Amino acid sequence: MLVRILVLLYLAGAPALAQTLCQPNASNGYRVRISIKTALGNQAYEWNENEMFLFRATMAFAMRRCYKTETYNVDNIIVCNQTLRVSFWFVVTSPENSTMLIPKADVEKAVSMSRHRINNAFLLTDRTLEFLGIHPTLAEPVNPDTPPWLIVFGVVIGAVFAGIIALLVSSLLQKRRKEKGMMEDGQDEEDMQVKGVENGNVLDGIYNRGFTDDDRFTKL
Amino acid sequence: MIDATMGKDAARAEWDNPMQFVLACVSYAVGLGNVWRFPYLCQMHGGGGFLIPYMLMLVLLGVPLFYMELAIGQKMRLGSIGAWRAISPYLGGVGMASVVTSMYLCLYYNVINAWSFWYLFHSFQSILPWAECPANSNLTGPVEECERATPTQYFFYRETLDISGSIEENGGIHMGQALCLLLAWIIVYLFIVKGVKSTGKVVYFTATFPYLVLIIYLIRGVTLHGAINGVKYMFTPKMEQLAKPTTWINAATQIFFSLGLGFGSLIAFASYNQYNNNFEKQAIVVSMVNSGTSIFASIVTFSIYGFKATFNYESCLERVRLLLLNTFDLAEDTISLENVNHWIAELNRTHPEQFASLGGRLETCDLEAELDTAVEGTGLAFIVYSEAIKNMPVSQLWSVLYFIMLLLLGMGSMLGNVIAVITPLSDLKFISVLSYPVGLVCLFCLLLGLGFTTRSGNYWFTMFNDYGATFSLLFIVLIEVITVCYIYGIKRFEKDVEDMLGHRLNWYWKIMLAGVSPILLIALFIFYIVNYIQGGTPTYQAWNKELGKSVVTEYPPYAQAFIGLLLASSVCCIPLTALYTYCKKRNLASGKRERTVSTVSL
Repeated sequence: MLVRILVLLYLAGAPALAQTLCQPNASNGYRVRISIKTALGNQAYEWNENEMFLFRATMAFAMRRCYKTETYNVDNIIVCNQTLRVSFWFVVTSPENSTMLIPKADVEKAVSMSRHRINNAFLLTDRTLEFLGIHPTLAEPVNPDTPPWLIVFGVVIGAVFAGIIALLVSSLLQKRRKEKGMMEDGQDEEDMQVKGVENGNVLDGIYNRGFTDDDRFTKL
Repeated sequence: MIDATMGKDAARAEWDNPMQFVLACVSYAVGLGNVWRFPYLCQMHGGGGFLIPYMLMLVLLGVPLFYMELAIGQKMRLGSIGAWRAISPYLGGVGMASVVTSMYLCLYYNVINAWSFWYLFHSFQSILPWAECPANSNLTGPVEECERATPTQYFFYRETLDISGSIEENGGIHMGQALCLLLAWIIVYLFIVKGVKSTGKVVYFTATFPYLVLIIYLIRGVTLHGAINGVKYMFTPKMEQLAKPTTWINAATQIFFSLGLGFGSLIAFASYNQYNNNFEKQAIVVSMVNSGTSIFASIVTFSIYGFKATFNYESCLERVRLLLLNTFDLAEDTISLENVNHWIAELNRTHPEQFASLGGRLETCDLEAELDTAVEGTGLAFIVYSEAIKNMPVSQLWSVLYFIMLLLLGMGSMLGNVIAVITPLSDLKFISVLSYPVGLVCLFCLLLGLGFTTRSGNYWFTMFNDYGATFSLLFIVLIEVITVCYIYGIKRFEKDVEDMLGHRLNWYWKIMLAGVSPILLIALFIFYIVNYIQGGTPTYQAWNKELGKSVVTEYPPYAQAFIGLLLASSVCCIPLTALYTYCKKRNLASGKRERTVSTVSL
């Protein structure tokens, strides 16, 4: 009889005890904020008791994954203060002693380790499933051996050097053709084509300064 | 008195056809200024209303001076030094001053092309590097400097320039920039090594392809969400701006620099023309095309501006919405982007203490303020535009297209700048002794240009940009106009033009060249001097990495002295050459009196 009363008292008191363990701004608790509609838009699911159960199960999984020696269960994750925003507080109790809370740092370690799995369980991201106070670890920046811009630069400068070589070869061929032409004709060649500023003047003969062109200065 | 280039006259290179010449002028005149300075001026001076002073200055100042430079080049068939010496031996220094100014321009302008290459090469990545902040060493968050500024600013100031805190703090050369600058100079060399034969072919591409990209961007731009806000903002005329004199001054200077007058490039291009080429029609066509391109480019710029401003405005609203939802723990779909402002008022009324606890975190989102952030110059092209591009779908494609367009515009202008230096130098007798003048000039400019790729290089770049060419050009063109109209004589000029074109100068050209343009130029010149004196110590924008923004800093004394040197070095060519010629003539005259036989000597 007495045992039955004690059992009844315990069963009545346990939830109340759990409630006192989980409180907003609890020293060992974390606040979670979920933004389903922002993440999924039209395909957003509704947050209800089942989803909450999934959350508690996922958190238990995360604790198990991190501390492989102990067996956590859904009952060890206590949730409270749920708001319309869909935000709530949770605390984690130890499997051996349901009145003892797991310290904040340990919970953080477990969450950080399994963050990716927790996000995926809810089809959310680091930004839409926020654990306030736990910073997401950013992805390791990909450092390729050759920066990609250098590859494109190499391609372009290769093309440019090919252009320079083509230029040199063509001017060499032109010079050789000209020499051959001079040898065959055996006479002074008129300057048919100006080679541009690079090669300067190729006029033969000496300009007779007696015939000065000064028309541009004095007009009769 | 003989001019030094007699022998070359008979064998001077020529454009293959007049179209090449027109395209070369278009390619030179249509440059980066059309894309980034004109839209800025339009925004600053009352949108659509700015077109009135702009068009007026084009007709009064731009087209006549353009015509005059083409006429001189085509008549004298020499670069700027030879041409001005031929017009008046005392004022050969005008050509010299043009060459010096063009040399300064060559030094720093190609650095912009180097940046365009850098951005172009970095566009070939799945995530554009200026889209997100890189993570810091602990991988806990983004780099602090990037967080305080924006990712695009961080990419430009830190990763592209690796800029130091002020002009005094020097640093090493940025290897990536140096490589891109080398590439830019090699390409410029390739384009002009064969003279007008190669340049003539290249300008077919550099003049036309940017228009293709602009059209594609126009179509993309006006279909962007929020573009209409920008276009509406630009075209709403604010007529009261027309009453301010700075509007008219800025319109005049924009026409002036946009057409590239006074650098000697136009004279150089025209010197390769056939003697009877109809440059009158071409002058009008090129000027109209240049202005038309400015207006067209500003429509594109403003639609992209509108997109960026709307995007930022909506991001701001989103942040406010999240803040309200999180603070008041309301369900997600109660506040939407449309009724954010309504809810702010509502929550302030119902929960005043909780609302007050928000404090400074609540931002005010204002679309007008976003549109008002007018930026010009390299800031617009490399920061604002790349910010807008990163938010477009398929941003890599738009990025590549945009930077190719910037490259072509810049390269086209570079061609004109380098030809302006090389043509007069190769006309001079002593240069032909050196082989490969083109290569030497390019190498020289490359080596000096490496100075702009150092950590404080951008500050020197800005100095050159602001002071290297502005004042000296005004002076040069003023002396040019006065020389042609009053020293050479408008009558002689008329006869030359009649000789080339076959018909006399119109009354329009005569009135503008002899009367209106000199007066306007003198007014501009006086305004510049007054503005410079009134402005006090010259300042620049230094990037502060702790604050993540630019702060206005004064130039140190040695930098101010350097500015003075920049201004003086080109301007004083004119009086110095005049003095030198005068002394030489006096010696010659006194020498002649002593000898009995006068010999014709150089």
